[in-house]
Parts: sequence; structure tokens; C-alpha cells
Amino acid sequence: MEQAPPDAPRQLQPAPLEPLGLPDAGLQAAAGEGDEGAREEGPGDGTMTENNFWLKKIEISVSEAEKRTGRNAMNMQETYTAYLIETRSVDHTDGQSVLTDSLWRRYSEFELLRNYLLVYYPHVVVPPLPEKRAEFVWHKLSADNMDPDFVERRRIGLENFLLRVASHPILCRDKIFYLFLTQEGNWKETVNETGFQLKADSRLKALNATFRVKNPDKRFTELKHYSDELQSVISHLLRVRARVADRLYGVYKVHGNYGRVFSEWSAIEKEMGDGLQSAGHHMDVYASSIDDILEDEEHYADQLKEYLFYAEALRAVCRKHELMQYDLEMAAQDLASKKQQCEELATGTVRTFSLKGMTTKLFGQETPEQREARIKVLEEQINEGEQQLKSKNLEGREFVKNAWADIERFKEQKNHDLKEALISYAVMQISMCKKGIQVWTNAKECFSKM
Amino acid sequence: MSGGPPRALPSTGPHSLLDMPHPLAGSSSEEAVGGDSTPSPDLLTARSFGDKDLILPNGGTPAGTSSPASSSSLLNRLQLDDDIDGETRDLFVTVDDPKKHVCTMETYITYRITTKSTRVEFDLPEYSVRRRYQDFDWLRNKLEESQPTHLIPPLPEKFVVKGVVDRFSEEFVETRRKALDKFLKRITDHPVLSFNEHFNVFLTAKDLNAYKKQGMALLTRVGESVKHVTGGYKLRSRPLEFAAIGDYLDTFALKLGTIDRIAQRIIKEEIEYLVELREYGPVYSTWSALEGELSEPLEGVSACIGNCSTALEELTDDMTEDFLPVLREYILYSDSMKSVLKKRDQVQAEYEAKLEAVALRKEDRPKVPADVEKCQDRMECFNADLKADMERWQSNKRQDFRQLLMGMADKNIQYYEKCLMAWESIIPLLQEKQEAK
Repeated sequence: MEQAPPDAPRQLQPAPLEPLGLPDAGLQAAAGEGDEGAREEGPGDGTMTENNFWLKKIEISVSEAEKRTGRNAMNMQETYTAYLIETRSVDHTDGQSVLTDSLWRRYSEFELLRNYLLVYYPHVVVPPLPEKRAEFVWHKLSADNMDPDFVERRRIGLENFLLRVASHPILCRDKIFYLFLTQEGNWKETVNETGFQLKADSRLKALNATFRVKNPDKRFTELKHYSDELQSVISHLLRVRARVADRLYGVYKVHGNYGRVFSEWSAIEKEMGDGLQSAGHHMDVYASSIDDILEDEEHYADQLKEYLFYAEALRAVCRKHELMQYDLEMAAQDLASKKQQCEELATGTVRTFSLKGMTTKLFGQETPEQREARIKVLEEQINEGEQQLKSKNLEGREFVKNAWADIERFKEQKNHDLKEALISYAVMQISMCKKGIQVWTNAKECFSKM
Repeated sequence: MSGGPPRALPSTGPHSLLDMPHPLAGSSSEEAVGGDSTPSPDLLTARSFGDKDLILPNGGTPAGTSSPASSSSLLNRLQLDDDIDGETRDLFVTVDDPKKHVCTMETYITYRITTKSTRVEFDLPEYSVRRRYQDFDWLRNKLEESQPTHLIPPLPEKFVVKGVVDRFSEEFVETRRKALDKFLKRITDHPVLSFNEHFNVFLTAKDLNAYKKQGMALLTRVGESVKHVTGGYKLRSRPLEFAAIGDYLDTFALKLGTIDRIAQRIIKEEIEYLVELREYGPVYSTWSALEGELSEPLEGVSACIGNCSTALEELTDDMTEDFLPVLREYILYSDSMKSVLKKRDQVQAEYEAKLEAVALRKEDRPKVPADVEKCQDRMECFNADLKADMERWQSNKRQDFRQLLMGMADKNIQYYEKCLMAWESIIPLLQEKQEAK
């Protein structure tokens, strides 16, 4: 990955780590306290240190969802859901929490926040948002965004997103994030004023870099490969799981028919009647138990979905690296060609084809003064180029270092979270099995009394 | 029927065939004893009832391991036979050991029928013969012919669509074997049917086909009289108790049909669920190959789902093999019972018609003519047989269904227990803290 060896280690500005936006007296005071290193990562519950805007530990919750109607940009009526975000400040001493901020946001504002974070923290694996539209549905789940179950699961997903951002050592210090939680009005304008959309890398540029980069860091190449595979396997898993849920639903529900027919049959029987009737009741219980079971399983699916979307965030970091690396390679290539041009002009030998050389041949040699002028220009450009290359090199290395640190943090988080998800899935299955045993044991007892 | 030895009702307890007149025996009382209801003289004399030396009847393959009967063992058998208590079992029949026979014309399965009995009707204490389905079918037809007032147990379905079901698969053969075993056991438990001569021959004859051919020729008076009865008499109204039985059977068959459909639907859904599970498990394996620390947990989940899939397959196989066939048997049973009810109606109708005819004639008063009396007896016997059989059937049905439904519940419990074990065993694996890589 090393291109030109750096001259002297120069502490150049890497991609911005500090939040941009309005300076805040409180910010400066808070930032001054403590040391940079003491960053506390919460286990997802949003507890943070005093290093930021937050002078005390805070709790964040997305506590409510509400249907609203309003007029959109094209002055048309639309219905949307707004979510209530509450921030509580927790006292160290007695653990009491006090509501400090409460405001309503809609999904599109969350998206705006995330897009901003993606641009300003390209070395960070930015937590994903819950899905925009319901996917991987099985037949019972509504694919409708207004469906209360979907809204509820989205509420939980949005809360999870905020907690993830708040517990990220770098992202939690962002000013725009702080304002998102505290400043209801005018927040959108504030974000747009940062001009982040302009700073975003164009898709085309990124794609181009991916194909043409020659020497990306192997680890990023492997990581990109991994994130592709991860995305593919989790998608597959979610699709099949939805089908499994569908079939399981069918199995349970058909058993409900036993309830009715046993009841009808019991009417013509003398001694067998009671046993049949009560067994039928248990079959009804069995049939209706599947609804809760599958509702619980949706939470597991949501946990998997989060990491499905995280794969995309991983890829974004890899892409950024490829872009920077490609940029670096292009700059080095450009510098090398300029140096060569200079050398050719100085020595008078023409080794490479150039337009100037061609025109010279056609229209006659240039004067020594002209040549001198050109050499001077080139030398200036070469100087500038060398400076730029050095800084790009450093930037690149800083990026790789910081990105890789966050990736390692992410890996730990992922392993922990997914293990927890698998455990909770196993627990769900165990609970389902125990319920099944219970119901059938009850039914068996009824049958034995026939 | 004034003459002849005093007789108990035909449907109580075991009696020697010689003593028992056939309920639908011919027109004169004198013939009621002996002659008609017994098989051809040849077979009769071949049987030694008791104290003579043993003459093997033309049939009967003694079981390989038993020693030739001696007079002393015969005596033993006699003493046991004195016990008329219905609870003591003196006849045991088992169907097992299916074997495939490949011949030029056809391929078929035979089953070994093992009979152990202390009854006098059996010359040997043990018999072992081989029979195929069509032999069972023959037996059932013979029983229906010769005992039309009784409920004959059903056979498993005769025809299977070739190509859809493999007639020679282990599962199919085993299901059939169980049903044939049940068929013979039900006959064995029946106080009248178990003494039927055709049943005896079925259990003992080495060459059943020879007997079958013989049987064609001796379409007995019994058969004649049955045909005789199914004349076109119309019954005005069924007596209440038989109407109740008829209604019960109608609803019963209907409900069983519904249960059969539900059970089939459940199995179908479970199989489709199984198909998805078989795709679901391996995806965790694929994922496991991508991961480091998560590799073992994911692989564990994959294996777990695999175990659950296997358990589910066992459940669906069990239900298909053990549950559905029994339901179908009972549906067939109630169908054949309904036709017996109809025959009974016929007998009653004939009697009532004849009675009416007599009432109009006025000549034979006060004495009721003999043939009308015979009709009345016929009807009363039929009613008695049928009622007794219905009671027995109801009691057996209750047992059978209790067992069947408890079995269904058991299979489901076992399925969930297997799954529970699989999931519980992987929790420690999932919770295990791995060493830093």
C-alpha cells in the first residue's frame, strides 16, 4: 500500500474527527474536561462520559409513535408516522433520571442524520437504520408501513439506532447528533448548512475507484469480500426463515380444526364425550399459541436484519479506502509523469509521446526561453504534487488506522450481539417446545379419560 | 323349533360347532341340528373330538418346534377346555414375518399366521401357515356369507394405485401387516366368529386354495337362506334402537371422515414445513464458514435444526403409518355395519309382510303358521346378535380410540421432547466464552 515514502512525519489534518457546525460554549467547556482517551462505550444503553455535550449520563428512548398528516414539499397531503424521542439525564449519585429533552422526529430525519454521519465519518462503521419498507415478510405480516406491528418494530429499531450512535466513542461527540436529540425546530436547516451533501463522494467516482485501484490494503479487500458474503447469507437466511414461519403457522392453525370436530363428535358419544370435548379445547389453545411465538421470532429476525444492513456500512468504509487509495495512486502517477516530462525537457530527449513534442516536430522547435518557462512551471507543479502526495499518503494511513480500529470494535460488537441473538433464539425455541409438550400432555390426559 | 336339544342363545360363549344351529338355518327344525351348519362330512370325520388317536386333518402344519401330540397332552387340552369363562383366552393368533414372493405371473407378499390354541376345534396346539391378502379377503367374504347377523371386522383397503404407493415398501407392508393382525385378533375375540369353520381352516389349512375350490361346490343351505332373505321387502320403520344405531353410525363415519381429512392436512403442512427446515439449517452452516468466533455457535444451530428436522420426519412417518390407517379402518367398519343393519331391516320386513299376509287370510288362526314363526325367530336372533355385537363394538371402539388418540398425543410429545433436548444442549455452546483469537 505504501507508495512514496513519507519525508518527515507531518501531522496533517485527517478526515474531520471533530464535529462541524455551531460552536458552543458548553461544548468547549465539556471538551476541555478529562482526557481524550477516557471514552466509555456503553453496552448499548447510551451511557456516556462527561467528555461531550453530555455533562451527565443519559438515557435515550424512542417511546411513542404517532400518525400525523401534513403537507409535503409538493404541497400534497401525506400521512406519516412521527416518533417521540426522550432524553433523560441520570444523576450519578442516586440513579434518578430527569427528562431533559423530548421532541418528535420522523423517519426521513433519521435518514438525514445518518447520511450526514456517513459523510463526515467515513472511517466509522455507521450503525444502520431499521428497514424503510417491510421486507422478508411471511404471509401474515403486513407489508404496509402503517401497520401497527411494523410501526412498533420500527420504533424499537430507531431507538436501537440512537443507542448505537450514542455509545459509539466517536459518533457520540458529534454536534449534529446532539442537536438531533435536543433541537426540534430548524434542525434540518442546520444539517444542510454543513454542506455535507456537497462533500459526499459521488457514486460514480467510488465505482470507478473500485475497479481501477491497483494496490488496496489486503485487509480491506478481504473485508469487502466478507461483507458481500455476509449480506448474501443473511438475506438467504431471512428469506428461508420467513417461509419456515409461514409453514409453522399452517401446521398449528390446522390443529384448531380438531377442536371443532372433537366437540361435534363428543355430542354423539356417551362415555367418550367429556374426554373428547376437553381435548378439543386443548387443540384450540395449541392453535392459537403460534401467534405469540412468531411475534417473538420477528425480534430475532430484526436482530439479523440489523447486521444485514451493517454489512452495507462495512462496505462503505472499504469503498472509501479504495477511493482514497485510488486517488493516491493517481496522484503518484501524475507526479511521476510530470517528473519525466521535466527530465525530458531538460535533457532534450523525447522518450514519451506528448502533444507538445508532436507540435514541436510539426511547427518547429521552441525557443530556449519557452523551454525554460515550461520547465519552471513543471518544477512548481512537481513540488506541489510532492506535497500533496505526502499529505494524501498520511491521510490514507490515518484513515486505515482509524478505520481498522473501528472495524475491530465493530467485530467485537457483532460477535457479542449475534451470539446474544442466537441464544435468545434458542431460548424462544425451548419455550415453544415446552408449550407444545404441555398442551399435548394435557390433551393426552383428556384422551386417557375417554 | 320344538324338537332338538335345548340350546342357549347362539351368541353367548364358546360352543362346539355341532351343538349350535345356524340362526338362518333352513325351513325345518329337524335339520337344524347337525347336518346343514357343518362342513362336508369328509372334514368332519377327520376331526377327532377328544379321545381317539390323533389323525392329522388334511391341512394343519404343526409348528416346527412342537412335538407330536400324545394322548396325555390331548387330555390336558380337554381339561383346559372345560373352562367356559369368557375371560380365559384359549386362542391366540398373530400375523408377522412378511415375505415377498416373485413368480412368473406375479409378485406378492405372504404373511405368517401363527395360531396357539387349546380349543378342541384345533387338532394341534400350534399352527403356522402363510397367507396372502386375497386369502384374507376370501375369509372375510366367507364370514359375511356365513355369519350375516354379525359385524365382521374390516380389512385394510384392497386396492392401491400402482405407481403412487409402493406395494412392496417396508412402510406399506408393515402398515398392512398391522391391520391384518388387528383383523384376525378381532375375529379371535368374537365369541361366535372365532368358532367359524372358515376361520379355523384359514388358520390351519396347508393348502387353502384346495379348500377354497371345495367351498365353491358346497354353497351351503346357509348361503341359500341368506340369499333367500334379501328379497325385495320394504321396511316400514326401523325400531328405535336400531334407528339410533343407524344415526350414530352415520354421524360417526362423518366425523371420522373429517378427522381423517384434518390429519392428512396436518401431515401435508408438516411435510412442507420440513422441506423449508431442510433448507434453513444448512444456511447457518454456510454462514459459519465465513465467521471466526461465531463459527462454532452457528454450526451448532445448524446441527440443532437438523436434529429437529429428523424428529419431525419421524413424527410424520409415524402419523402416516399408525394413525391414518386406523381411522380408515373404522370408516370401513362403520360402512359394513350399516349394510348389516340394512340386512336386519330386510329380515324384519319379510317377517312383517308375512305376518300381515296371514292376518288377512284369517284361515290359520289361532295357530301361527310355521314359516311366519321361523321369520320371527330369524328376526329376533338377528336383533339379538346385532345388539350384542354393537355393545362389543362400542366397547372396543372406545378402547381403540383411546389408544389411538393417546398415541397421537404421545408422538407429538416425543417430537417436542427431542427438539427441546437439541436446543437445550446447544445453549452452553452458545454461551461459551471463546479464547481471544
